Amino acid sequence: MLEYRAYEQIESYLKGDMAAEDKVAFEALLRTDARLAEQLREHKQLLQTLQGFGQRRNLRQQLNRFHSELESDTVAPTAAPAGWKVYWNRHAQTIAVAASVSLLSVFGALWSVQQLKAPVRQQTARYVELRREVERLKKTQTAIINGINDASKPAPRSAAFSGTGFAISADGFLVTSSHVVEGADSVLIENAAGHKYKVTEVYRDQIHDLSILKVSDPAFVSFGNLPYTFKTQESDLGERVYTLGYPREDIVFGEGSLSSSTGFEGDTTAYQISIPLNPGNSGGPLLDDKGNLIGVISGKQAGQEGASFAIKSAYLLQMISELPSEDTSSAAVLQRNNTLSGQSRPQQLKKLKDYVFVVKVYN
Amino acid sequence: MKKSLYATDEAVMEGIRHDDERALAYLYKLYYPMISHFILSNSGTEDEAKDIYQEGVIVFYEKIKGNTLDLHCQIKTYLYSVCRRLWLKRLSEKGRFVMKVDESEEFLPVEEDSQHHEEQEKQFGIMGESLEQLGEPCRSLLEDFYIKAQNMQVITEKYGYTNSDNAKNQKYKCLQRLKKLFFTTYKPGV
Repeated sequence: MLEYRAYEQIESYLKGDMAAEDKVAFEALLRTDARLAEQLREHKQLLQTLQGFGQRRNLRQQLNRFHSELESDTVAPTAAPAGWKVYWNRHAQTIAVAASVSLLSVFGALWSVQQLKAPVRQQTARYVELRREVERLKKTQTAIINGINDASKPAPRSAAFSGTGFAISADGFLVTSSHVVEGADSVLIENAAGHKYKVTEVYRDQIHDLSILKVSDPAFVSFGNLPYTFKTQESDLGERVYTLGYPREDIVFGEGSLSSSTGFEGDTTAYQISIPLNPGNSGGPLLDDKGNLIGVISGKQAGQEGASFAIKSAYLLQMISELPSEDTSSAAVLQRNNTLSGQSRPQQLKKLKDYVFVVKVYN
Repeated sequence: MKKSLYATDEAVMEGIRHDDERALAYLYKLYYPMISHFILSNSGTEDEAKDIYQEGVIVFYEKIKGNTLDLHCQIKTYLYSVCRRLWLKRLSEKGRFVMKVDESEEFLPVEEDSQHHEEQEKQFGIMGESLEQLGEPCRSLLEDFYIKAQNMQVITEKYGYTNSDNAKNQKYKCLQRLKKLFFTTYKPGV
């Protein structure tokens, strides 16, 4: 029973509810009784361990609870967005790059196919109107030369387009292709001799691509008698024909033969001729060996060698007869005498070239 | 991670000091992924990760409770260091030597803390075993009195003793047996 009493003492001592005088006595006893002290130490350790064990067990339980919360927290939300959302978040950038690359390659392929097709399409019949877009380089060069010669004058504005035209009567009527003067603000003509006139378009036949111009310069008097006449009948296949025109700054002669009595895609209003033509030739006169005007140069077929076209003179004559009455009084006076017949080609050209003009179109 | 009250380490530690369960829960959830990653990438399992992590958290918790924590770094680093130490120990006990540890964080030397912890773990392990061997109703009686700190009166009624002296006597006997069981297996660390 002594042990039990000692135990009770120890217990109350450790709990700290021992009365003060008892405590002093107990502590004095502890100092002398080594066995009691040992028992106290053991008891203390045991209780501490027991309590610590209890606390630890509670803590463990708490942590386990947290852990299961954690698992339910993480398992639930990861299960839900797993799939396309996670996939999207992870691969959004890659997808964006892939998408843009594929878009780029699709449109690039479409574009390059288009580019490859373009020349192919050109080879299928395409009619090219031979109005000339004046090369800026040459013009600026001449402008510079002009500037050196006469620095005080402002450099003349270069024409946007040019073509060829020729006189049809002595009193200032000319003809050219209507596509040459299309959209023109003002039109100037100039011949090989250097005569310059301002002209206006007085009549247009869009179907046959012909335009009649009239010199509006007050200083103008007359062209003089025309050396050529207009042929009313159709010319024969194989006839030798030639033209004068301004595909460049200077007048250019071109010769060939009448290779077909129909024009572009069976157009019966035009001839096919084997004269190599260039932009700027449009509106030029087409003459036969005897110096009869048989047509007006209008265009050529792109990608085809020696397939040029000229409107037949019959349609030109028809148009002249359709001119408004106030103009016909003078326009109807067509040349009856042909002064070119029987002359050599250079002689013919010498007479002709003053009646062939470069038509400069400003807009 | 959702925003919470415990934005800083200080706030978390303050919360734990004041027995705030949410602070501990927050801390626990915050760093588990890091430790889990460490253990898993060093030949451990999910369960081992959980075990080690909980021990690490316990070490930290008790240091705070005992006011013996002198923290010069982030909680994160401290936890990592403790768990790392514990895991390496565990690995070497299992006979698996890891030549190269896959480190993802910096760490501190925490030999002392982890050794103290291991000592305690050992004691508590023995205590658990001793309690098991003690059997009912002694075990429940002691737990109720010493751990749950229940009143002697309540215990007397609960276990159907005729009076509290009887209960006290019973408790004394139980404790003596526990003492014997405990000290036969437990030798204080040398």
